[in-house]
Amino acid sequence: MTELSRPSAGRRDIERFLRVDHAGERAAQQIYRGQLAILRNHATGPQIQHMMEQEVEHLEAFESLLNERRVRPSLLDPVWGAAGFALGAVTAAMGPKAAMACTIAVEEVIGEHYAKQADHLGDEEAGLRGTISKFRDDELEHRDIAVDHRGREAMFYAALKAVIQQGCRTAIRIAERV
Amino acid sequence: MTKADDLHGAYDHAVHPDAAAIIAASLVHVPFEGWTNEALCAGAAEAGFSADDVARLFPGGAVDAVVMHSALADAAMIEAFEAMADRPDRVHLMIREMILIRLDQAAAHKEAVRRGLTLLAVPANALASARALYATVDAMWRAAGQRDTDISFYTKRATLAAVYSATLLAWIADSSGDRTVIEGFLDRRLQDVSRIPKASAPLRSALSTGQRLAEGMFEIVGRVRR
Repeated sequence: MTELSRPSAGRRDIERFLRVDHAGERAAQQIYRGQLAILRNHATGPQIQHMMEQEVEHLEAFESLLNERRVRPSLLDPVWGAAGFALGAVTAAMGPKAAMACTIAVEEVIGEHYAKQADHLGDEEAGLRGTISKFRDDELEHRDIAVDHRGREAMFYAALKAVIQQGCRTAIRIAERV
Repeated sequence: MTKADDLHGAYDHAVHPDAAAIIAASLVHVPFEGWTNEALCAGAAEAGFSADDVARLFPGGAVDAVVMHSALADAAMIEAFEAMADRPDRVHLMIREMILIRLDQAAAHKEAVRRGLTLLAVPANALASARALYATVDAMWRAAGQRDTDISFYTKRATLAAVYSATLLAWIADSSGDRTVIEGFLDRRLQDVSRIPKASAPLRSALSTGQRLAEGMFEIVGRVRR
């Protein structure tokens, strides 16, 4: 994309970005905590632990950014946390492959979402763009880990993925605003 | 106040210096005319600006000037609080100090503040009014070093909005000239607030017990599966 065609995000856009990203990382961290509640002693446990720790780093980064930029968090913060934990725990209860299928579905949407945001950030926001791009790489790495752990072989993979991704996209739209 | 080039600076609605100059000059007219276009134009003329400048700097009319006046008061309050030599270290005492600073600073133009509240109370200005109140309590919590990013972000601001607006109204109504009257009122409101954690403790403990129970159940499910 050339510099000219890169639309520059205004203050309102940045507020929306940070609010939804913070809410998303809250949910993501809770998804892995939910998975760990079931799979802590499973062979995939350490891998999930590693992904959760990265999400905690992301969450802390957005906590600082919300304060630096004086942006209010999402009013539904407790909802995102509870929904994330439930999604993680329920899919993990369906089996390790279903848990990995959930990770593929979620991280794919978040990866797309971060890519779209990075595209909207101009050079005056190069720092934030760098942070978001780095996080996108982390999320896509999580997706690849989940693919390696045979997430795509889960039962009803296509249906599971479609439902989760639709849910994530809806949550993104809500958290940007509320 | 933040620098103009500080795009995402501390204050969302940094007031244009020309607008600030017009507001300052208008304050002597507001007690007689209220926050009106006429009062602003009279102030503008004295500060060396025209009626066109008033229209440009206050596109929403006089209510814009009231909101900006409040934003300037927020900034002055924070500045004075941060310059304090013996700043209190407990949160509720910091909040108490900031509210008293703000009222002391407003004492010189109490009538203008009262007239501003009258205008903000008009239903059509409800949104501007809520935003101005939010900006004030937001600035106070941040100056008190609170960095919440969860639901307590909202509960703290709602609580302080109630305390601050009640105290402001009591201050407007009080004509005793005795500062301890307002201090006493504010202290009683802050005391009410300090009871909230105790009152809501059973609910919070039920919530955290519920969460632990749910997590424990999932752990059991996880163990059974193996």
